[in-house]
Amino acid sequence: MKTTGQVPAEQNKFKTYRNKLWAPYRQVPILGWLLGMLASAILETFTGTYFALVFGMSDIPALFGFTVVIKQPLLIPGVITYILIIYVLPIAIVARLTRSLTNYIAGKLQEYPFWISAVMHIVLFYFIINTWAVMNDYRVLLAKLMLIAIIVTLSLNVINGYMGEFSCSHPGFIALGAYTASILTVLFFVNDSVLGAALLPPALAPFLFPVVLILGGLLASLFSLLVAIPAFRTRGDYLAIISLAFTFIIKSLLENLQIFGGARGFMNQPDLATLPVVFLWTVLSVWIINNFVRSTLGKALNAVRDNETAADAMTINTKKTKMTAFMFAAFWAGIAGGLFAHVMRYVNPGSFGIKKLAEVLAMVYFGGLNSVVGSIVGAVGFNLLSEMLRPTQIFKWIIIPVLLILVMIFRPTGLIAFREFDPKKLLRAKNKMEEDK
Amino acid sequence: MRKCIILLALVLILPLTAVSAAGKAETNVIKVGINAPLTGSIPKVGEGTVDSAKMWLADIKKAGGLEVGGKMYKVQLDIQDNESKAASAVKANTKMITQDKVLIIIGPQSSKQAVPAGEVANNYKTPMISPWSTNPKTTLNRPWVFRACFLDPFQGKVIANFVTSHFHYTKAAVLYDIASDYPKGLAEFFKKAWEKLHGPGSVVAYESFTTGDKDFSAQLTDIIKSGAQFLFTPQYYNEVALIVKQAHQLGWKNVIMGSDSWGSAELVKLAGKDVYGDFFSTHYAAAGAKGATKVFIDRYKAKYGYIPDDVAALTWDALNLAKTAIQNTGKLTGNISTDRKNVRDALAKVKNFKGITGEMTFTGNGDPVKSAVIVRINDKGQFTFFKQVKP
Repeated sequence: MKTTGQVPAEQNKFKTYRNKLWAPYRQVPILGWLLGMLASAILETFTGTYFALVFGMSDIPALFGFTVVIKQPLLIPGVITYILIIYVLPIAIVARLTRSLTNYIAGKLQEYPFWISAVMHIVLFYFIINTWAVMNDYRVLLAKLMLIAIIVTLSLNVINGYMGEFSCSHPGFIALGAYTASILTVLFFVNDSVLGAALLPPALAPFLFPVVLILGGLLASLFSLLVAIPAFRTRGDYLAIISLAFTFIIKSLLENLQIFGGARGFMNQPDLATLPVVFLWTVLSVWIINNFVRSTLGKALNAVRDNETAADAMTINTKKTKMTAFMFAAFWAGIAGGLFAHVMRYVNPGSFGIKKLAEVLAMVYFGGLNSVVGSIVGAVGFNLLSEMLRPTQIFKWIIIPVLLILVMIFRPTGLIAFREFDPKKLLRAKNKMEEDK
Repeated sequence: MRKCIILLALVLILPLTAVSAAGKAETNVIKVGINAPLTGSIPKVGEGTVDSAKMWLADIKKAGGLEVGGKMYKVQLDIQDNESKAASAVKANTKMITQDKVLIIIGPQSSKQAVPAGEVANNYKTPMISPWSTNPKTTLNRPWVFRACFLDPFQGKVIANFVTSHFHYTKAAVLYDIASDYPKGLAEFFKKAWEKLHGPGSVVAYESFTTGDKDFSAQLTDIIKSGAQFLFTPQYYNEVALIVKQAHQLGWKNVIMGSDSWGSAELVKLAGKDVYGDFFSTHYAAAGAKGATKVFIDRYKAKYGYIPDDVAALTWDALNLAKTAIQNTGKLTGNISTDRKNVRDALAKVKNFKGITGEMTFTGNGDPVKSAVIVRINDKGQFTFFKQVKP
């Protein structure tokens, strides 16, 4: 650090003040933050409508009041106070007050196998999302689409980030998963005019839905060989072109399959992708993809990215590595597609074109390459941003690209790039952190 | 430190002023949702929708509000951009229904958004009118979803009937894009209707191409050789320009018929004299319009500086349908779900509604029984009203 004399006194004062305020929170474990969020969500459930009315809003602001503010700038102070009362203060107070308790629990949990602690945190997190979302069906829909976006972004990050290939084939994989899962569920569980009466009782649908999704994922990973095999010979721009062609081939194929609606789209999917189902799949995907990229194979991906010849010399089977990565990523894209189709309950080939590609790529590069946390931040951030800015209409397409450009200038590899996500480190008690070092 | 306190105080004081300004919740407001593609691939459609809606709102404001059962209500438009994407249209509809609590939704325009968005409206029991979507799936088995335009099966029949009664032709040729949803559907519906009138084999040439093709000489040569008396091509204006020019170069002399996708001012700019004297069926004709339609066109042109296309006209009708239905309910209870139900029921019972795109009657489902217009492109390249075809 520079000598304090060069820093203006005012700024220095502010800094120490901020540090003082923030210091206790350094010792709050994730469990404490989660408890705070839960308290805030419960508070909003019971008093949200009252406070919203008091501050001049007609209803609980769905997305932290952002859309309200854009339409009625007069309400800015009201919205800020609402956010303070409902979100910031409860989280801060609860996290602070329960600090010793949560640290104690987190410390105790460290003595048991890790999965117990993980499951507990995940269940708690689900409760928060559920409490927050059920207040408003719009939030439920957004939460579902955001969770699905996380799966898509993560899976693309495996290819574009970890393996360093520029692949444009993800919309094709998503489309394959979406159509496969839709066709199967409609065929088996719905009386449809095209595919005939339901073959199985609809009551079985929720139980067989995972199988259907996995089949969709498997089909996508089978088709991914069409991109993976040419990838043995080409890299960079050429692979981008091949994979882009793949996306167009799939789209064109679906447009010409009249039995599944062609360009008109395919509908009547049963309502199977509920919030808990989507949440569970997202957790599963984060868990598995995170383990995959931290495994030997994941490290091999990085080696292939950094220098393929050197990796080959170090006895890495580059062909196998590339093939596995493509098939693995395509599988998860297929799963995401299946979930997406059952959230929307309508799919059409037009949804899986170049626009989808741009969206997915933006999420990956916005969040950060080679990083699980980055993908989550990218997917959630991009989705929230594009939803919050919807009222600005055309300006949204100026603001978002400008933000992307700024990210590219100041953090060329994305917001949180090249960072390893270690759940064990994340969930442990914070009061002993100094000793651990 | 002092600054922080001042800042905190400001934050705490400011809301109080806002509360006093906007504190009372407005009860006598009717919210109408507009789900339009303001950005994305067809922004012109979104522009027409919003321009039309704003003009409609201005009229209501001028009248002091909307009168329902002797009480005046303020009307608010809730305009949402669907980015011309299916997922965004669903999000926008969900937001308007569950968050903004709109009474009725107008839009989305394109079928690819109207079909999934209609599902949302139907699930949440909120009436929705799509002005422009011609896909039968939009309203199929959805009691809460309506539309303000005719369907493609009807348009196919209209063209077949018109040619038969006006020209007394018996041999038809069709040229269409097999990879695009709308032309393909319409070509099939026309073929069915024509063969019903003139027996199997009366469509002597049924030729197709794929989106993006620029050379149609092979298909057109076959069509000319087949001895067809006229050509029906339900394509978009940019393709029509190529088709008619190439047909005339190859020696085609007979009339060419089109569908509502021809109805763009660009058509005459691109095709020039080659389309003069040809006909197409559409929702309404701007040139030679009479009565209320003419008034609408003149006002719209004066306000926005361009002639409204069919989207704007249909949106206008959809909004007025909504207005009629709301007024027909007799009174609003203030309970949004009851009001939505009443508006839906009133909408389903609308009879002989005098729209600027024709008279509309709902008969049990969401598709209106309404007339189509046959337009002739005259020697000056204007779209002139030729004939109204009633169902």
